[in-house]
This record gives sequence, C-alpha cells and structure tokens, in this order.
Amino acid sequence: MKFKTRQKIESHIPTASMADIVLLLLIFFMVTTIFKLEEGLPITLPRAESGADQERERLVHIWADRFSRISINDKLVRTENINAIVAAKLEENRGLIVAFNVDHRTKYLLVSDIMEELKDANAVNVSFTSMYEED
Amino acid sequence: MIKKRSKVSSEFSTASMSDINFLLLIFFLVSTMFAVEKGLPMALPGKGSKTVKLKRDNVLNVQAYANGSIVIRGVGPVSVGEIKSVIERKLEANPKLVIVIETHPEADYGIMVDILDELRLARATKISLRTLRTSAE
Repeated sequence: MKFKTRQKIESHIPTASMADIVLLLLIFFMVTTIFKLEEGLPITLPRAESGADQERERLVHIWADRFSRISINDKLVRTENINAIVAAKLEENRGLIVAFNVDHRTKYLLVSDIMEELKDANAVNVSFTSMYEED
Repeated sequence: MIKKRSKVSSEFSTASMSDINFLLLIFFLVSTMFAVEKGLPMALPGKGSKTVKLKRDNVLNVQAYANGSIVIRGVGPVSVGEIKSVIERKLEANPKLVIVIETHPEADYGIMVDILDELRLARATKISLRTLRTSAE
C-alpha cells in the first residue's frame, strides 16, 4: 500500500510586491499633497458652528487683520486695488469664491469696504472663513 | 604575480528599495494635511443685479452696534445665544422673511459672523448684509 506523501505547506508571505504597493501609496500622497503657499497675516478667525467645507480649488483668500492691513497673495494691498486683483483672478476662474480670512476684532467698516470692491469686480461668491466651535 | 581580478557584480541590490519607499511614504503621510477650510458662504449682489422691493412685513432687521450689543427690530436687545430661537420663531410665522444684518462700521467683524452663524443655524436662507447708518451721521 502506498502512503500519500505529506504535502509541504510553505509558511512565508511573498514580500516581493511590497515595494510596488508602497510605491503606489507614495505616488498617491506625493500627488495629493499641497504645501501651503500663502502666509497671510497673523489673525484669529471668528468661531462659528455652521461653517461648511469649502472647495480649495475655487478659493481666493483675502486676509485682513485688526490693524486694517489687507493682504492678497502675500502682498499688502490697498482697498481700492482689490477690484483689479480679484477681477484678474475671476478671468482665470469663473467659479471663484473669495474667502474672507479676517480677524474677529477687525472693524466692520473694512469688511464692508472690501465687499464693495468685490461687488464692483462682480465676484459675488464669498465665504467668511471660520474656525469650528467646540462646545 | 598577477593579481586575481575581482569580480564586480553588475546588479545593484533592490532589497532596500522598499525601505526607502517606506521612509518617503511616512514623510508624506505625516506632512500631508487634508486641511478643509470651513466658511460661511454668502452671495453678494453683483454689479448688474436689480434692487428688489420688499414688503416691510417681510423684512427683519438684526442690528449690531459698536459696543457689541445686538438688537432685533421689534424684539429688542438680545444676546448671541438667543438669536437662533427668535429667528426660528419668526421664520415659522413668516417663511418669506428676509433677514437684514445691519452692522455698525465700528462694530467688530466677529459680531457679524456670530449673527450670521446663528441665522444659518436657524436655517434662514434669505440674508442680506448692510452697514448700519446711525441717525447722527
């Protein structure tokens, strides 16, 4: 009588494809990573509970601090120049959203002046950037 | 005597490749920030938009003063926390209500955002922003 020879089961996991998997993940993260380019101004954002996520690709930031300084693209600008800058950006991207990164202690006058400039440039979509409020 | 020629291997080892990849991967994993920006969206009236005449009954003014006080026209002074319930009640009574936030030029921007936040929480959709002109001006 013949005995069946015992089957040998190999116990190791092939790791040859590991490098490929890791490389794929690496490429994914390399492609999706966006390094923050804009410094802006040192501000404390107002807190809000109802803040909604904004699409990054459509945002243009306007920074304003409580000393009434306004910054766009890391350049200090005067209120009357906002119109031209935003209008140029609107040419490139029609669905532009202007994000107000404004310190909560800024006087409303400055914010309303900026909004008037945006109305003139026909940039009607704005977003008041806020921090999420935790109770 | 002739020196024995040393054999030079033409292959380079790829065993450490995955380690290098791993290191790079970990770097990008850590440095990636999926920073989602939160904001209160708002549509401003554009250059070409027409002025719409509203019935007085359909307008509710919320006024923010320079000293930080908030007054709802017809209700009186309120705190930030009270706005939501007041607006909810008003909207229930009249769904066509347009809420106008009137902010004094000297008032803090933060107060305006507080009010806007409360209005959004009360599910108010028709919101308008204005600068408050006091009678003294």
